[in-house]
Amino acid sequence: MILSRLNLNPLTVKKLQRFKSIRRGYYSFIIFTVLVLLSCFAELLVNNRAVLVQYQGEWYLPTYGAVIPGTTFGFDYQYETNYRELQNKIEREDNGDFILMPLVPFNPYENDLREGEYPPFPPSLEDKHYLGTDTIGRDVLSRLVYGFRTAIFFSLILLVVSYLVGVSIGAAMGYFGGLFDLLFQRIIEIWSNIPFLYVIMIISSIMIPSFFTLIAIILVFGWIQMTWYMRTVTYKEKAREYVMAAKALGASNSRVIFNHILPNTVSIIVTFIPFSIANGIIALTSLDYLGFGLPAPTPSWGELLAQGSNNLESIWIVSSVIVAMTIILVMVTFIGEAVREAFDPKKHTTYE
Amino acid sequence: MKLLDKTILLIIPLALVLSGTPSAATLPENIEWLTNDADPVYASPDAKKGGTLNWFLLSFPLTLRHVGPDANGSFRSMILGNHMYPVAAHPNTLNLIPQLATHWAYSDDNKTMYFRLNPKARWSDGERVKPEDFAFKLDLMRSKDIVDPWYNTFYSEEIDKVEIYDDHTFSVTSRQPKPRDELHASVGFTPLPSHFFKDTKNFVQEYNWKIVPNTGAYQISEIKKGKHIVYSRKKDWWAKDMKYFKNRFNVDRVKFTVIRDVNLAWEHFKKGKLDSFDITLPLRWHEKATGPLFDKGYIKKLWSYHGAPQASGGLWLNLDNPILKDRDVRLGIAHAFNIDKVNEQVLRGDYVRKQTMMTGFGDYTNTDLRARPYDLDKANAYFDAAGWDQWGADGIRTKGGQRLSLSITYGSDTHTPRLVVLKEEFRKAGLELNLRKLDSAASFKSVREKKHDIWWGSLIGGRWPQYYGQFHSSNAHKTQTNNFTNTDDPELDKLIEAYRSAMTHDERVRLSWEIQERIYEESSWIPRLDTPFERIAYWRWLKLPEPPGTLIGGVSGGLGVFPFDYDGAFDSSDGGLFWIDKELKKETKKAKKAGKTFPAETRIDETFKQAS
Repeated sequence: MILSRLNLNPLTVKKLQRFKSIRRGYYSFIIFTVLVLLSCFAELLVNNRAVLVQYQGEWYLPTYGAVIPGTTFGFDYQYETNYRELQNKIEREDNGDFILMPLVPFNPYENDLREGEYPPFPPSLEDKHYLGTDTIGRDVLSRLVYGFRTAIFFSLILLVVSYLVGVSIGAAMGYFGGLFDLLFQRIIEIWSNIPFLYVIMIISSIMIPSFFTLIAIILVFGWIQMTWYMRTVTYKEKAREYVMAAKALGASNSRVIFNHILPNTVSIIVTFIPFSIANGIIALTSLDYLGFGLPAPTPSWGELLAQGSNNLESIWIVSSVIVAMTIILVMVTFIGEAVREAFDPKKHTTYE
Repeated sequence: MKLLDKTILLIIPLALVLSGTPSAATLPENIEWLTNDADPVYASPDAKKGGTLNWFLLSFPLTLRHVGPDANGSFRSMILGNHMYPVAAHPNTLNLIPQLATHWAYSDDNKTMYFRLNPKARWSDGERVKPEDFAFKLDLMRSKDIVDPWYNTFYSEEIDKVEIYDDHTFSVTSRQPKPRDELHASVGFTPLPSHFFKDTKNFVQEYNWKIVPNTGAYQISEIKKGKHIVYSRKKDWWAKDMKYFKNRFNVDRVKFTVIRDVNLAWEHFKKGKLDSFDITLPLRWHEKATGPLFDKGYIKKLWSYHGAPQASGGLWLNLDNPILKDRDVRLGIAHAFNIDKVNEQVLRGDYVRKQTMMTGFGDYTNTDLRARPYDLDKANAYFDAAGWDQWGADGIRTKGGQRLSLSITYGSDTHTPRLVVLKEEFRKAGLELNLRKLDSAASFKSVREKKHDIWWGSLIGGRWPQYYGQFHSSNAHKTQTNNFTNTDDPELDKLIEAYRSAMTHDERVRLSWEIQERIYEESSWIPRLDTPFERIAYWRWLKLPEPPGTLIGGVSGGLGVFPFDYDGAFDSSDGGLFWIDKELKKETKKAKKAGKTFPAETRIDETFKQAS
């Protein structure tokens, strides 16, 4: 409902137009969105399972289904088919069977080890390790892609929940004021003095954090930032006539906050979103780097970074992840910049 | 109330003093005094004195005490290395040789050892080493003053008493009888200078940074907190001309500089600011320790095998887990455990597959046993036999709707790469292994609370195999014990009890073999890899005796045996064997500037390699 009202608003249209006109932000936004969407289907692009197999007249779509044991394709093992082997076999036998492998035929967990050679292996087109392997023979590109997906969804979910909490509390503080405001201000001041990194280190040394527990832990400390901004703008908005009018019509407090005040403060929230996404990615990456993040063997950028910095001789590991991270964070920053300009009340007409 | 407190405070020290000064005991007649100067020396007659050895510490020690809070750091072995024992094992022949005592004897009940101190034995402040120093040590270790429950328990439960006969003669009695070759390890403890410790009520604070007089070859001469610690050689050390101490402890100073990062320390080493570096890890030996400095012969590499007891590293399967209760599942896991792939394709094949629990224990090691090999067909057959014959859509076996999924608890990031490979290998047999990495203290706590399915861990014991704590049923199904497998096997109990009470070497060896076989049969513990060697890189001016290592290590540093090992400069039984050739040092520095080269040297010494 809020969205449709926003769309009708000519001001919003203007903002969107201005956002579009800021080229680097706009294109970053498009590329970033495409990357996120693509990462949702990473299994089709970067995987050890074939996308499509035709074997002895039957068609198989192994990507999302159950594990197909090797015996199905004439191998002598019960465990999951090695589709790269199957590809070799089909090419060798050449009897009309067909296999379509993903672009990168490795999943982020498998170890592509060899006799007489020791990982990490350098990038090689022939081996299809386009960015090489890490210290235990896992494909760097594959881990980069799945690590990106983990990081970005981690960041998005964290964003939603921490804004939900932060915005609600901040708005309530501004709206109710008085003792409630005073109390929460002190709580927040005390809370924000707790060294958050140490707490996470202690927690993750005694338990194994999962994706969602890690979000929960970071949320416990991460909701604070938004409250201050929301408190201030709500204070301002509260004094406006439309709020008084809504109250006069008998609207409940929650209705006034969420249906009347919130839409008018959305520009503040939107401006902060890209930076919060960047912060989320950095938080997860640094925790993984320090070894306090997601449990092994989850593919993650921080883990790659740690491996890379301990094996500087194998420069492809550290350079891949640094380049990937720089690109993503620069794009997010561009988007953030553009959003901020677009929502700027001073209405700059030109950019750059 | 106040009065009462004071009375108690008065009584406690009094009681301590009383127990520390035993009434004049008389030495039993017809005891047979033993000594040994027939064994070969292991130091090099070519050794030259002088020079400064530079090593590094990753962090500055939190205290110079060897007991009490924060004392359990790596620096403790440096402190203890300079405290000598009454007697110690020869690091190659394993026979006892004299240290502080010249003679020793045993009681008939295998509980007491008598020692006659060397009249020359001196503390670093010149005081004579007296039997009272041993009695004092026992009292202090039992006292609450040191705030160290482990030492309190050990000295209360292991040691019964110290008896003093005259100025040089005393005995120490163990609570349990022990075989003669093992008795000295508990009753032959190092003394502490009783004249130095005036009042131990405030021991922890008072003695935090006090330099305690010692009996060894070096003493701390310079401390700069947070920066470095220097040990200097005692020029008139009382033992310097004794047979087994001659030509040892050659360098004048050993300087430990704090370098907080290993990679940074490696750079210091390559600049010649450190004299040697441990390169046992495959990555260091094969990758980092290469390049011009090595090719031009400035830095040498040595791979030295030893025969010291190996830690019991392996998979400890918790038998209280309903899945692991089934022996067929355990055998399936043993056959699906592809540790050879990890060793050969990730760790470069440097390590040795452990075959039985107790390796490196000489004849106590059951050499008939062979670890079950990786064999997917056998693993599948065992899992099928155990009823896990359905395969789920995710490629994991199921039984009655339950997945064959187990977690493995471990405590160090260095093991993650190995476990990640193993996880993928176990999948091939339809077993899911979830990695449960905790902080090392937390992981050990968790397995002692028996909260694990499988523990990826190892225990380091003493010089002789111990089974009671880990496999006797009295420690099963309880928290805070070391029976990590929850083994509760009456047959095994009988063997372990017999082993504990056996007093002859042959009997103990026979029982040790039977116990290991029983553990193998049950497959509750699956062996992983041994590291029966140490590897170092060292500048060519550092010289070593021939052979460069010893069979077993000194007592102060646990199992480390290499002469350049952490405590290798000091340890009274195997330390201080190397020396610095000052001429060579000058020559090397000059040559490095001039670009002159020497033949490269990478040496593998297998003198003490054990058959596996």
